[in-house]
Amino acid sequence: MPKIRTQRTKRPPEGFDDIEPTLEEFARKMKEIENEPHEGKRIVEGAWPVFRIHHQRSRYIYDLYYKRKAISRELYDYLIKNKYADANLIAKWKKPGFEKLCCLRCIQPRDTNFGTTCVCRVPKTRLQEGKVIECVHCGCRGCASGD
Amino acid sequence: MSNQKADPNKQQWEDSEFPIVCETCLGDNPYVRMTKDSFGKECKICSRPFTVFRWLPGTNMRYKKTEICQTCAKLKNVCQTCVLDLQYGLPVQVRDEALNIKSEAPNSDINRQYYAQNIAGKDTDISHYDASKAAPENRDVLRRLARNEPYYKRNRPHICSFFVKGECNRGAECPFRHELPGGDAELAQQNIKDRYYGNNDPVANKMLSRVRTSGSSLAPPQDKTISSLFITGVEDEITETDIREVFCTYGQVKSVVVVHRSKCAFVNYATRSAAELAAQNIADRGLNIKNRALRVAWGKPRPQGPRSDTRKQGKLLLSFNEGIYRMI
Repeated sequence: MPKIRTQRTKRPPEGFDDIEPTLEEFARKMKEIENEPHEGKRIVEGAWPVFRIHHQRSRYIYDLYYKRKAISRELYDYLIKNKYADANLIAKWKKPGFEKLCCLRCIQPRDTNFGTTCVCRVPKTRLQEGKVIECVHCGCRGCASGD
Repeated sequence: MSNQKADPNKQQWEDSEFPIVCETCLGDNPYVRMTKDSFGKECKICSRPFTVFRWLPGTNMRYKKTEICQTCAKLKNVCQTCVLDLQYGLPVQVRDEALNIKSEAPNSDINRQYYAQNIAGKDTDISHYDASKAAPENRDVLRRLARNEPYYKRNRPHICSFFVKGECNRGAECPFRHELPGGDAELAQQNIKDRYYGNNDPVANKMLSRVRTSGSSLAPPQDKTISSLFITGVEDEITETDIREVFCTYGQVKSVVVVHRSKCAFVNYATRSAAELAAQNIADRGLNIKNRALRVAWGKPRPQGPRSDTRKQGKLLLSFNEGIYRMI
C-alpha cells in the first residue's frame, strides 16, 4: 500500500534522491505497459513486459547495492521494504547458477506438467537447435548463467 | 456419491489407464513423458468425455494427444491419435475394403451410443480384423501398401498459416512450420469422422486407385532368360496335372514343380514367348483352379551370383594366406 508520501511518512534515507529519477522512470514505464492494448499479442504475451520491467528494476537496485556498492544498507533495506525491488528474486540472484534468473515463475516446478523448470532455464548449448525460445511465463529467451 | 441412481443406459464417461497408440505417433524417443487428463476432451467421433493423453513425439515435433476415445478406437482397431490401423498403418477404408469388412455398428446418435456401450463393450473380439482370415491376394495387398517403418514426418508441427499469408510476426520463435503447403489440395481436406467410418477418405481413395490400376503387374521381367511362372496359393487339392492342364494351352511346358508344403508351384516354359503369353492371359482373366484364386508372378532367376562370389572369396582368402606364408 505505501509509496504514497505525505507529511506523516518518514523521509527516505540519503541517497534516495540520486536514484529517484531512475525509479520514477521505471514506474512510468510500468504504467505505460499496463495500459498497452492487447491487440496482435497472444494472451500470455501481454504480461511479458510487466515481468521484464520488474526484473529490470530489481536488477538496477541489486547492481547498485551488491555490485557497485553505490548505496547504503539503510537505503537498500528501505527500497526493499517499499517494494521498489523484489527481495525473493534478489535472493535467487545471489545463488550460483541463478545469477541471470528472469523471474520466479520460471523456477517453480509446480507450474509445469512434469515438475521441471521452465525451458528458458536450459542453457543454449543444450538446446541444440538454433531455435529461439520465448518462455511462456515471462517471454525470457534464456536465463541460464552460462548464456 | 453413490451411483445407485445412475441410469445404466446413460452414456458413461470413459476413463482409461494407457492410450491405444501406434508407433509413429509415439515417436522415436523410447523415453516419453505423457500427461494424463481424465475426461479432458470429447471424443471426436462419439463426443463422450474420455481420458486425454498428451506427449511429445520427439524433438521439434508438435505435442500429440489422443483424439478419439478407446471404445471408438477398439471398435475399428485404430490408433487413438492418427486413426490409422494399428497393424498396417493404413486408413480404415483401405483396410476394410481389403479385408472385406462391413461394419454393422450404427453411425449416428443414440443408436451408436447404445451399440458402443452395450454390444461393443461386452464382446471385445478383435478377430474381426485378423488378417489370416482374408483371402491371400488381399493380405498381399495390405502387406504391399503397409508402411514398414514409422513415418515421423506426420508428427511435425503444422504449417504456419500466418506464414502462408506472409504475416507471421513471431518469426524465429514461431513453433509452426514456415513452409508452403505442398502436395495435393484435395488430400488436404480430411475429416476425422469420414476417415474413421471409411467414407469418402481422399487418402484411402488414392491408395485404392493405385492398387486397382497396378493390378498384379504381370509385365515381362527385364531378364530375358526367365521363362517360368511362380504360383502361390496352391492348396493340397491342386495337383501338378491340374496346373499343367491350365498352362499347356499357352505353349510347351518344360516342367511343372509343385511344392504343397509351401503352397507354391513353378511352371517352366520351353520358350519365353509362351511364358509371356500365359502371363498376359492370366493377368486379364485371373487364375482360378478348383475354385481357388491363385496368385501368379514371374519366377526369380536361378541364383548363380552367390556361388561365384563364394568362389571368389575362397580365392581371395587363399591368396591372402599365401601372402602371409611368404612373409613368414
